[in-house]
Amino acid sequence: MRAVLTLWRRHPLLTSAFVLSSAAVLFFAVRLVVFTVYWANPAHRDQALAGWMTPRYVAQSWHIAPQDMAEILQLSRDGQGRRITLAQIAEARGMPLPVLLDELDAAIAAHRAAQ
Amino acid sequence: MTLTETALSLVPVYGPVALLTVTFLSCLALPVPSSLMMLTGGAFVASGDLEALSVVAAALGGSVLGDQAGFAIGRRGSGLLARLGRDPKRAKMLDRARSRLHARAATTVFLTRWLFSPLGPYVNFAGGAAGLGWARFSLASVLGESVWVTLYIGLGAAFASQLEALSDMLGAVSGLLVALLLTVLSGRALLHRLKAQGATPPRP
Repeated sequence: MRAVLTLWRRHPLLTSAFVLSSAAVLFFAVRLVVFTVYWANPAHRDQALAGWMTPRYVAQSWHIAPQDMAEILQLSRDGQGRRITLAQIAEARGMPLPVLLDELDAAIAAHRAAQ
Repeated sequence: MTLTETALSLVPVYGPVALLTVTFLSCLALPVPSSLMMLTGGAFVASGDLEALSVVAAALGGSVLGDQAGFAIGRRGSGLLARLGRDPKRAKMLDRARSRLHARAATTVFLTRWLFSPLGPYVNFAGGAAGLGWARFSLASVLGESVWVTLYIGLGAAFASQLEALSDMLGAVSGLLVALLLTVLSGRALLHRLKAQGATPPRP
């Protein structure tokens, strides 16, 4: 114990670094366990639709054929720009994003039910 | 819109340019969500919205350029180290730190690109300041960043529909690895001093 105190007195920086990094090990280990438990729950794994997603991304993540997705969103293939986000679609249609997301949610559910 | 969502939407809207910018800035120790955006880039490769080649090239280009910028900044700051080194006791310490960095330069640079990536920016500054050879630094930087970029874009593509879970887990693993490394290094140094202390008679 006395040796540890002497060590602390002679090398305050190094000792603090050791104590702090040990605390960080504990912190990240707990975080990893918490995340593992949280994400292991299938109920938490269903992503919600969001404005940054593209129709193709939604199609892939929700396992819907890309052409069905284009139909659901009533997208025409005009050959312009490969990427468009749901937020951009809502803006172009002059509708609030949450409304578009709700409609898309309902349409995906209906599409799944029909299959 | 949350900060995370803003970062996520930069990827589909600006494409590879967003990845080049964010990986560049992250190499200079700026707090940008580069890991999350690379995972997102990978997810958009999987969905067919982005080309794999341009995503990898942009992320690799940005991070290698960022490493070079950090290294150059460190080199400019080397005058400061020389001034600090005027004090003989400090000079001895700096010399020791420098020779240690030189001995394992390539490995240190390589591993702090991906396995211990949160330390990367500081190694860039320190490497430049300590006068590491540019060619050795650059080779290790390109190799290490290639691993980082391939790993994150690959994982993003493989788990495209689980981006948030993936980002959370990788963040925790990466923090844990860095904390473990720092604990082992400081613990080893302390043990060394404890032994030396035992050999010398206690001070009055």
